[in-house]
Amino acid sequence: MSLIELRGVTRRYTKGEHTVAPLVDVDLDIEAGEFFVLLGPSGSGKTTLLNLLAGIDRPDGGSVVVGGTDVGAGRSKDLARWRAAHVGYVFQRANLVPVLTAQENVEMPLWLTDLPAKERSRRAALALSAVGLLERAAHLPKQLSGGQEQRVAIARAIVADPELIVADEPTGSLDGESAEAVLRLLARLCTERGKTIVMVTHDQHAASYGTRLVRLEKGQLTAVEVAPR
Amino acid sequence: MKIAKLVGRNLGRRKARSVMTVLGVAAALCLLVAVDSLASGLAGALQSEDGARSLVVYRKNRYCPQTSILPEHYGARIAAVDGVESLLPVQVFLNNCRASLDLVVFHGAPPEEALAQRDLRLVAGSLDGYVSERDGALVGRSFAARRGLEPGDRFRFGDVDVRISGVFASSDSTQEGVVLVHLAGLQRAARRLGSVTQFDVRVAEGADPKAVAQRIDALFATAEEPTDTRPKSAHLESATADLVEMLRLGRWLALACLVVVLTLVANTVWMGVQERVRELGVLRAMGFREGHVLRLVLGEAVLLSALGAALGVGGALLVLRFTHISIGTEGIAIPLEADAMVALRGAALALLAGAAAGLLPALQSARRPVVEALHA
Ligand SMILES: Nc1ncnc2c1ncn2[C@@H]1O[C@H](COP(=O)(O)OP(=O)(O)OP(=O)(O)O)[C@@H](O)[C@H]1O
Ligand SMILES: [Mg+2]
Repeated sequence: MSLIELRGVTRRYTKGEHTVAPLVDVDLDIEAGEFFVLLGPSGSGKTTLLNLLAGIDRPDGGSVVVGGTDVGAGRSKDLARWRAAHVGYVFQRANLVPVLTAQENVEMPLWLTDLPAKERSRRAALALSAVGLLERAAHLPKQLSGGQEQRVAIARAIVADPELIVADEPTGSLDGESAEAVLRLLARLCTERGKTIVMVTHDQHAASYGTRLVRLEKGQLTAVEVAPR
Repeated sequence: MKIAKLVGRNLGRRKARSVMTVLGVAAALCLLVAVDSLASGLAGALQSEDGARSLVVYRKNRYCPQTSILPEHYGARIAAVDGVESLLPVQVFLNNCRASLDLVVFHGAPPEEALAQRDLRLVAGSLDGYVSERDGALVGRSFAARRGLEPGDRFRFGDVDVRISGVFASSDSTQEGVVLVHLAGLQRAARRLGSVTQFDVRVAEGADPKAVAQRIDALFATAEEPTDTRPKSAHLESATADLVEMLRLGRWLALACLVVVLTLVANTVWMGVQERVRELGVLRAMGFREGHVLRLVLGEAVLLSALGAALGVGGALLVLRFTHISIGTEGIAIPLEADAMVALRGAALALLAGAAAGLLPALQSARRPVVEALHA
């Protein structure tokens, strides 16, 4: 069984007479440990698909099963609990809480666990050192560069040790060097820790980090040949 | 849970806005506590009477001490009325009959009888000078505090010139606003020789106060100076009727204060969550539940109002304690009594208003779909 199984997934938005259907009867399997890259033109539904995988949105038809859990069903409370344990979400912008330090931001997902304070802070420090920013633990987001903020956001996404990390254009607002650091980090999480990564990108170079590339267009998925990096 | 920590930090995002909200809440609470203290002081004054057994004999159809003039010799006849245990002739002299924040009231009475009939407890100085010296005086402690008077001080007011021998407390809070002096001296200063303002009568145990009052008034019904004898509580009630009316307005003011708290806090919290819809969406994506967001936003509202309440109630309590403000009317000083009950009530109302203010933005933030929030 694959880690992620989409069967006949449809998602459509209706506004008055207009209906937009970014996903129509989509089937998709993603294996554990894959670095899955989702490509596609703007407005094609990539973010929509990612939101379904992350359990923050529900399909209008079909099923989304992640690690055996049907994330399109269930109460919102249970889905939130599931997200806390199983998914780390990285956005285009870091979206750190500005009044919390890097360390505290990383620790946030652990607030939802009953780990003792000491253990929370140990794990947050571990995650920060995994992204190479332990020495910035006490800094506020505004004291960090954009690339550093994004790495803190990745630390926050992995601190609870989820098996799935979804990233929506994680390098979209970074310069080349910072982007490179973030991509290497994601790749390492995949190869060294066996995390499953699902990343949306517009950037060919970023896509080349993936182990599988798929293009979403007109509601349908098509495989893309992996160009050698 | 670490939500509380985040609540606290969130107030620091817009410091000026938070500070202004807290100050606004504090000002509203100050006013609310002042109104409530007056209500409490008035209730205390009307209640503290050992009530029914004390009567006040006043000049009929006169309501201000300055116009109530009774011949002093009425005293002997009243004392002889069946059911009268003891009586105290009192000359009242004051600066202002209307509502006033700085009422000065002298009660002139024979010292030994005054000490016997009134419930006075010496808190500073001594009784000796008051009893033995013709210009000796005792002052109630709230008046002493308001005017900064101490034993040994001279106090001059108009033609009255007395030496403070002691400061007293009383179970009757209106007494604590009074300067107690010798009857003869005050009559001279007020140019009312041979007359008094009122007689304070104690009814004998077992006698019917109503009947005693009727007997007294019957004695002077056809006299040139007819009397009106009422229980002391009724006398106080009619003297303070204006204040009661003012308080009714005050209640509305207090309600307005709560509305101010509510709108101030609601406005601040609302702006706060509008500015971070996306951030709250990120928390939800991370696994925070609707209840967490609810607590986060509600916590902010309650914290704002709690800080404001602490500042406002605390400030009002301090001011009232050190200034001993009282409102005087018709010669009776009603102290503003900010006790623990008043403080608790004020704080509880503020917290309630704060929570109510936070409820709508909190619910709205918690219920917003995650995807929509992330899109903001
Ligand atoms: N809440 C919504 N209401 C209505 N339409 C929506 C909503 N969210 C997305 N859409 C529509 O669904 C389509 C897919 O949107 P989506 O955000 O998934 O695209 P995307 O592939 O991520 O685009 P981009 O590369 O620009 O981020 C778009 O046409 C968009 O307008
Ligand atoms: Mg997108």
